[in-house]
Amino acid sequence: MSVAYVPVQWNRNKWYYDTVLILLVVLYLVTFLWLAPEVSEAARATNDAIQRMRATGSCAFLMLTVILCIGPLARLDRRFLPILYNRRHFGVLTACIAAAHLGFVLQWYYSFSPTDPWAALLGVNPAWDRAPGFAFEILGLFALLCLAILAATSHDFWLSFLSAPVWKRLHLLIYPAYAAVVGHVAFGAVQDQSNAAFAIVVAVSAFAVTSLHLAAHLRRHREPAANAQEGWERVCDASEIEEGLGRVHLLATGERVAVFRHKGAFSAISNACAHQNGPLGEGRIVWGCVTCPWHGFQYDVRTGRSPEPFTEKVPTYNLRLEGTEIWVEAAPNPPGTPTEAVPAP
Amino acid sequence: MREDALETAALIADLAAGWAWIGLAVALVFLVWGVDRVEPNTRGAYIFRALLIPGVVLVWPLVLRRWWVLERGADNWAARHRAVRRWHGPLWWVLGAVIAVTLVAALTLRDDRASAPGPERLEAPQ
Repeated sequence: MSVAYVPVQWNRNKWYYDTVLILLVVLYLVTFLWLAPEVSEAARATNDAIQRMRATGSCAFLMLTVILCIGPLARLDRRFLPILYNRRHFGVLTACIAAAHLGFVLQWYYSFSPTDPWAALLGVNPAWDRAPGFAFEILGLFALLCLAILAATSHDFWLSFLSAPVWKRLHLLIYPAYAAVVGHVAFGAVQDQSNAAFAIVVAVSAFAVTSLHLAAHLRRHREPAANAQEGWERVCDASEIEEGLGRVHLLATGERVAVFRHKGAFSAISNACAHQNGPLGEGRIVWGCVTCPWHGFQYDVRTGRSPEPFTEKVPTYNLRLEGTEIWVEAAPNPPGTPTEAVPAP
Repeated sequence: MREDALETAALIADLAAGWAWIGLAVALVFLVWGVDRVEPNTRGAYIFRALLIPGVVLVWPLVLRRWWVLERGADNWAARHRAVRRWHGPLWWVLGAVIAVTLVAALTLRDDRASAPGPERLEAPQ
């Protein structure tokens, strides 16, 4: 958070997360490299170098698929939120596995040649209009470049320096990267007709990622339109917000406000966490502070400030009651501005 | 392998190397001198800066732009709290279509090895 940076911000939960993640990756690679040749004729027909390429390539593809499923799953069902917690380490490990895949490819196919291996890799399959000779390597390189950018800018410094919205836009590269990976695999490994299983895995994975993202988008799209009145908008009836919980309201400006009930009074802050713009309104009040459901960043609901020594701040909003209805002023206060809590009726 | 494709590939590789060298120069100046001026939490923290080098090398134009904005005090506080959601839905409608077309095309155009000409033994170079 907002104290002096360290190389990696680990805590006990992240250690558990990373340990399980690494064990699963090792288990997959061991299974692919040592057990698959025992049971698969197709695996026995290749050499160790090609098996290493396939193991790391398929592992990176499946990891990327899981990473892309986590976000919409957490939106659709809160039980998936714990997996979202340390997704950045997941992404960095995926980039490392994908880089290992490239390393094995360069080592096996492009060594011992007077041609520069990078030039050879980019130029070996120049076609864009037919499957045999399709330039699938370029799609893979593009995806790896995107993953490298995301991994290299995953430290919290980048969130603070670039600002969360710019960082998020940069990290939207993960989406075209996935489309490129699907193309890389479809015009690469899937062209091998000796084993249909991988083609099925790729198609099911791509369908799962796409349908989950669209489902999460459609669910969000059904949020009610704003009920506005001279710069103020109706949020809901006071009875609809439980003690210690919040409600997200979509303003006509397109921004979201999180209205919380704490100690029998209502306060409102921006729904976007200062860390990664996580949905604060979907969090709860813990130890008197709104706690982001993504990474646990906390804010005093009346001031929008993180408890000391942290220095994060989010904008606050003015509230008023009309009868039992909560109304919010659409214009935000600057981050960290104290507001008067409105007592519940 | 076509000669022009290789030449284009070599040019891309050279451009990438040039991009990386400029990025390294930017990283040196930014991480030694500039970062303390615009990011207070980096003061006194030196080891983690090594982790930032690959990021600066890859996105150095963005680093220079943000550095310039922060140096001038021109950062927009309201924009920092505007979550990026607008593009998510439309992007996935487009990507879903692209992925579906890609998979169908790849499976339809799959190389039919049964009808392909057999391997040809080449003479070893003298």
